[in-house]
Amino acid sequence: MDATPPLPVRPASRADLAAALAWIVLGTGMLYGGWSMDRLEAQNINPYTAPGLVPALLGGGLVILGALLFLRSVRATAGGQSTIPTSDGAGVALASGRFRIALALCLLYGAGLVGRGIPFWLATFVFVFAAIAIFQWPARRAEGKTVRGLVVAALCGAGTALAVSLVFQELFLVRLP
Amino acid sequence: MLDGLILFGRSIAGFADPTSLATIAIATLVGIVIGALPGLTATMGVALLTTLTLKMPANVALLVLVCAYVGAIYGGSRSAILLNIPGTPANAAACLDGYVLAQRGEAGRAIGISTTGSVVGTLIGMFFLALFTPALGEVALKFGAYEFFWLALFGVIISGNLTGGDPLKGWIVGFLGLFLASVGQDPIHAYERFAFGNRDLAGGFQLIPALVGAFGFAEVLTVLAEPAARARIRAFGSYLPRLGDVWRYRRTILRSGTIGTFVGVVPGVGEDVAAWSSYAAARRASAHPEEFGKGSVEGLMAAETGDNACVPGAMIPVLALAVPGSAPAAVLMAAMIIHGVQPGPLIMVNSPQFVYDVVAMMLFATIGILVFGLLLVRPLLLVLSIPREVIMPIVFVLCVIGSFAIAQRLFDVWTMLGFGVAGFFLRRHGYPMAPFVLGIVLGDLLDKNLRRGLVISDGDLTPFFTRPISFVLFAICVVTIALNVPAITRLFSRRKAAS
Repeated sequence: MDATPPLPVRPASRADLAAALAWIVLGTGMLYGGWSMDRLEAQNINPYTAPGLVPALLGGGLVILGALLFLRSVRATAGGQSTIPTSDGAGVALASGRFRIALALCLLYGAGLVGRGIPFWLATFVFVFAAIAIFQWPARRAEGKTVRGLVVAALCGAGTALAVSLVFQELFLVRLP
Repeated sequence: MLDGLILFGRSIAGFADPTSLATIAIATLVGIVIGALPGLTATMGVALLTTLTLKMPANVALLVLVCAYVGAIYGGSRSAILLNIPGTPANAAACLDGYVLAQRGEAGRAIGISTTGSVVGTLIGMFFLALFTPALGEVALKFGAYEFFWLALFGVIISGNLTGGDPLKGWIVGFLGLFLASVGQDPIHAYERFAFGNRDLAGGFQLIPALVGAFGFAEVLTVLAEPAARARIRAFGSYLPRLGDVWRYRRTILRSGTIGTFVGVVPGVGEDVAAWSSYAAARRASAHPEEFGKGSVEGLMAAETGDNACVPGAMIPVLALAVPGSAPAAVLMAAMIIHGVQPGPLIMVNSPQFVYDVVAMMLFATIGILVFGLLLVRPLLLVLSIPREVIMPIVFVLCVIGSFAIAQRLFDVWTMLGFGVAGFFLRRHGYPMAPFVLGIVLGDLLDKNLRRGLVISDGDLTPFFTRPISFVLFAICVVTIALNVPAITRLFSRRKAAS
């Protein structure tokens, strides 16, 4: 898993260029959606309270900001500059294999298992066990402690499933999904 | 003033019972642990705890959240000093000098300094919170629809400008947040906007699942995506604070506390900017600026005082204006609303006691960080050695069940997942999360007040610019934007060079 190459990081200005186009499209959609929204004239409301007014204005604003980002990215691409700022640890190098596995596991649990007829405790056990076992596998294998790693993962999975189910169901009276 | 002291005394007495004290102790400790664990931020912690405290009485739930917030900002310094990994973004500045001190074998002294700075910083912030919230609340009573519209826009623009490194991207996500807040029934006519016939979308995106996704799930993905080395802690000597350090740097402490508090008051800016601003100001004023970044006690003291002073500072606009000063404060504000406490200009009229309750909660949390920070040094080292691959899957389970527990509908889980994936990619491309959150929180305020203002003025835009407070907010927005226009900044630098 660690041997997989890092996620391809595109030059920031090109990534910004693609994002700028996406913002312009989204802004245009908001503008159109707001403009074409029912103005409730049949209900004789004040036209200044039309529900589409604010989304349309925000859409217009987003189109302008997207266009500015587009222009800046075009200039940066032409000048061969990178415009990437780092914030909130955004610039971390990501191992693509780890990221894809993390995303797949989380989506599988959150959207595929929870609320789909499988008991919550079982789904939680499977998710926590799989995630810990997979992500600790390289280190455990290097240490020659794979069985111990699997046992720890199983214990964490069982403990989490039990504790979360009990606390939310019995203490907070939440009907588990 | 005397009324304030009486109310504060009542608040202190109200929390001085064994149950409340035990709650304070547990919540502060949980906050410290959340902050100390790299990857678990204060915002994520407060958001997750909001879902865990839904069934509690309002005053107990808010006590837990305030104590956890104070604890988390302090706790983040622990991993910054010992591992060179800031536990929360607010503690990044503490890495510079704290870690160097730890490498020199003075980790204990660094922990003592960060504890002292955090305690004094929170106390300074608390003082300003008690002093300025009633005054700001009184000013805010004069706010009308025009002022509230500009205040919402001001928050997004300032937050976009000061957080992250790219104002343009900050404004883009701020506008995105404002738009996402408009999805669902509109606040005036209950007309379904952008719901596309979907019943769940007609209800809009709930704030807490969105925040749990943007800060919790996105962080889980970030942490799991990068392999982490096991923490190795060095020996570190005595961690008792040296009174000599405090006295020697008293001016730095006072300056950093004041800067931190006022950075906190600015909407959506938050603790990380407070820490860096305090650090930069301390370096400018220091007799030994060359030591900063090389294990400067003064630098560490400034950073830790500044970020913790920001916590009460960020609560000032929450209580007086219903505009959050930081991302964790935004979650706290959402929690207040969920628990039936309505922050805003009327709070000093309707429930003045609550303002002083928050001040008292901060005071107890400060005592908590002082006690736990110094007594539980070694147990906290054990917490730091728990592998992140073990913690993050459990945190994700809490993200899922916490989002579901609010209204017991799966749509909120999907909202959390969607905001988490989007948040991960946005952050990876340099889009800051604070203006995004502020946009979601302030969207309703902006929407209602723009339309109300237009109705009051019968479509005339003049009052948006001619009323004094409106004009000031508008002018700040324009100047902030103008200062980011390259042609204008070039003109300024040319004039500066010429003079």
